[in-house]
Amino acid sequence: MTEKSEKQLVFSKHLTSKATQNHLAEFDKLLVGMMGNVENKGWVIDDIKVIELSDSSFAGIIAAAILAEFGAEVIKVEPPEGDPARKITPYGININGVGLPFIMESKNKYHITMDLKTDAGRDNLSKLIGQADVVIDATKPGYLDSLGIGYRQLNRSRKDLIYLAISPFGHFTGKAESMFNIPDSDLTAQCESGYPYLTGDPKAPEPYNYPIKAGIWAAWYMSAVLAVAGTLTALFHRRRTGEGQMIDVATNDAISGWQGFQIVWGFTNEMPRVRVGNFDWCLFPYGYYEAKDGYITVAASSDADFRGLIKILKRWDLENDWRFLLDRITDDVDKLRDLEKEFKKEFAKYTRQELVKKTLQYGADGARDKLRSKGFPIVVETRTPAEVLKEKHWKVRKSIAEVEHPQLGRFMVPNSIPKMSESPPRIKWIRFGLGEDNELIYKKYGLK
Amino acid sequence: MPDNYFDFTKSILDPSTAGQKSEALKGIRVLDLSRVIYGPVVAKWLGLFGAEIIKVEEPEEGDNWRTGTYWAKYWKDSCPYFQSLNPNKYFIAIDVKLPRGRELILELAKKSDVVVENFRAGLVEAWGIGYTQVSKINPKVIYISCCGYGQYGPLKFFPSWDLIAQSMSGVARLTGFPGRDTYKLQDYYGDFFPGICGAMGVMAALNYRERTGKGQLIDMAQAEALMRTMLNWIYISVTGKDLERTGNVDPSMIPSGIFKTKDSNFVGIAIANDKQFASMLKVMNRGDLVEQEEFADTFKRLQEGTAEIINKAVEEWVACHTLGEILSLAQQNGFPAAEVKNDWQLTNDKWRRERGSVVEFEDDMYGKGIWPGVPVAMEKTPGRIKWLTRPIGYHNRYILKKLLGISEDEIKQLEKERVIGYWANRVGQRPPYYYDMQTDPVFNYSGGTNND
Repeated sequence: MTEKSEKQLVFSKHLTSKATQNHLAEFDKLLVGMMGNVENKGWVIDDIKVIELSDSSFAGIIAAAILAEFGAEVIKVEPPEGDPARKITPYGININGVGLPFIMESKNKYHITMDLKTDAGRDNLSKLIGQADVVIDATKPGYLDSLGIGYRQLNRSRKDLIYLAISPFGHFTGKAESMFNIPDSDLTAQCESGYPYLTGDPKAPEPYNYPIKAGIWAAWYMSAVLAVAGTLTALFHRRRTGEGQMIDVATNDAISGWQGFQIVWGFTNEMPRVRVGNFDWCLFPYGYYEAKDGYITVAASSDADFRGLIKILKRWDLENDWRFLLDRITDDVDKLRDLEKEFKKEFAKYTRQELVKKTLQYGADGARDKLRSKGFPIVVETRTPAEVLKEKHWKVRKSIAEVEHPQLGRFMVPNSIPKMSESPPRIKWIRFGLGEDNELIYKKYGLK
Repeated sequence: MPDNYFDFTKSILDPSTAGQKSEALKGIRVLDLSRVIYGPVVAKWLGLFGAEIIKVEEPEEGDNWRTGTYWAKYWKDSCPYFQSLNPNKYFIAIDVKLPRGRELILELAKKSDVVVENFRAGLVEAWGIGYTQVSKINPKVIYISCCGYGQYGPLKFFPSWDLIAQSMSGVARLTGFPGRDTYKLQDYYGDFFPGICGAMGVMAALNYRERTGKGQLIDMAQAEALMRTMLNWIYISVTGKDLERTGNVDPSMIPSGIFKTKDSNFVGIAIANDKQFASMLKVMNRGDLVEQEEFADTFKRLQEGTAEIINKAVEEWVACHTLGEILSLAQQNGFPAAEVKNDWQLTNDKWRRERGSVVEFEDDMYGKGIWPGVPVAMEKTPGRIKWLTRPIGYHNRYILKKLLGISEDEIKQLEKERVIGYWANRVGQRPPYYYDMQTDPVFNYSGGTNND
């Protein structure tokens, strides 16, 4: 095979004809033009003003950043000493006293300060909110209400206001009231969502046998995107009816409420799942393994995919074993471990690239099979972020943006998602100085 | 108006009154060509908030998730997982590979506001039902294509699943203890997170169309959604080093971790700021620590070495207290702490039932069940579950007659030519064993068109 044809491997027989290939080449060109060029495109919500009030909670900060990426004018209001979230940063790494997560999620925002402990400060906030469309309240539930600028007071004169509340247990229910003083964090939100309970190896020595949290802010990001989806839904309703409303997101509930399998499982099985190491609860093989030169990821769970994999590994003998043929599920973990042992032995014989190439070629050949019975076992490199940065695909799509800042110089942040042909979300600027926009915003909104 | 804030919020957000309130997306029609998880949940969000979702499946095959269940577990001949992902949808079955099937899909797309698909990149274009073809007959369409790496770029044809996208984005290397196994994000986070990002994109596009009248193409890439959550890119830029996995410590918040209590429960604790840190030290009787500069200064506290000393102190303190004690101290003193909950606790959690994120729902065909409900509470336009899934092709007559004005004779012809079809007699596809299809008025829909 020539290198050129290797690059163009396709995995469906419907994509192989000359006419289709030509059409797709044209489509590709169209997309590069449509998606690649974001200058002079429209903004989804550049008619919307958002006031963000967050106290040490990135769920609110991220939600506000995404709304700003869609074009809203987002004003982050902080106390004179700043949102403590400015200091939430890995290993204390900071630029002039500002941590990396805060920098990354300051996209397109204005930063102003106000002292809500004073009458003047509260008046200013009230005046500012009076001119806003959306308020993000990621402070303690009831705090703004106690200042006289919560939803029940604002809503009296502003029927069109959208009030987005984000907190661990939400702003309603008995539990929200009794737990209102427990602040938000991603880790505790993961725990309340039952997430770490599913991860880890109970057979490892202590404390490695503990439940393990996700290595990203899984609960905060899920909460933030749910909050933005909710806000855009409420804005759509407002555009049609003029009516605003309150939206309530509980970070402790975001993952479990949206992913939901935990509930489905509980309903049908009436017991909790336990940690099963690197096994998946529905599929096998579906996990991370070690090849000769590093981690690989293997997904070959359907019967056809599984057969394909053992064919590639030259272990067709496993096919005869009834235990593995139809019943590769985690209700009998020991049985799966037997099978896994065999796989581990085989994977260790190859390099990552050897396995990737073999399976991709198998998939491309199998796609032309009339009976579609060959399956498509998938093996890819389990890439480190540094390896991801070398991938040309992300450069073509500008998936990671390089931005410029006077103190930071050039640095990378993830680009806005998703790509949209008419009104793409995008990064206008990143700046994060405390009170940096006081003059501009105070003047614009007539604040004192 | 109630004096207590929480009485007020309950009076406006209580989901038990959702059925009487408006639906934000009423009148929006969505053609859902997707399957498994990633695409279906884009449409699920829209359906929860009132959009009309027409899910198109392949006759006698259907969405792969119908038959691909967990532990061979079926509920009344259906896959419970599939049920939870596809509420409030109309189920029709059309063979897209037949010319008349393609035509039917285009006729439906012409009458839809949104089209959702998650096939391999390029496949819908090859079939003639992609964005270039649909936008010709429906220029205002919002067309969302969901795939692993996006519709253009060198990796566009590269295969993807949740786990594969996790691996190609680098997120796969971030969970677990340093020097030990790396773990995946559980329960298909790599589908559900990109899925809600896609729903957010559709909502953005609907807002834009409301303002300008313009539709558009959304190119939703699974791996890019996951990359959006990663701190690694900026960390690498600033430090020249990568962020490795850190077990249960959140290196941005110290102290932090999952600890074992005196009564052998697991509790997560993560301290976000100086005030919380002071409260925590007070309850631990370790006020002495705050007097030392390396602990008092937030950035110094986060540095390796210092962080370990503090986490060790917390670990020892937790080991001497019960879970109940710790949670009540957290509430009294205001620091983040939470039990590591399990599936069964969530399923029975009174708080979640009150919020409406877990619901007991009685369906006309399947009866009572417990399901994930609505993840975001809304005052005026709350989401809701109206019905569960239906067997493959259940709404064929209802949709084709009502929406496209197709007559009973034509439908019979389409059936004969196998352009449209139904379930195979397989568990996961067929109706529940006790259900009589012959007398079902929707399945045998005999009304006419409503011409909208």
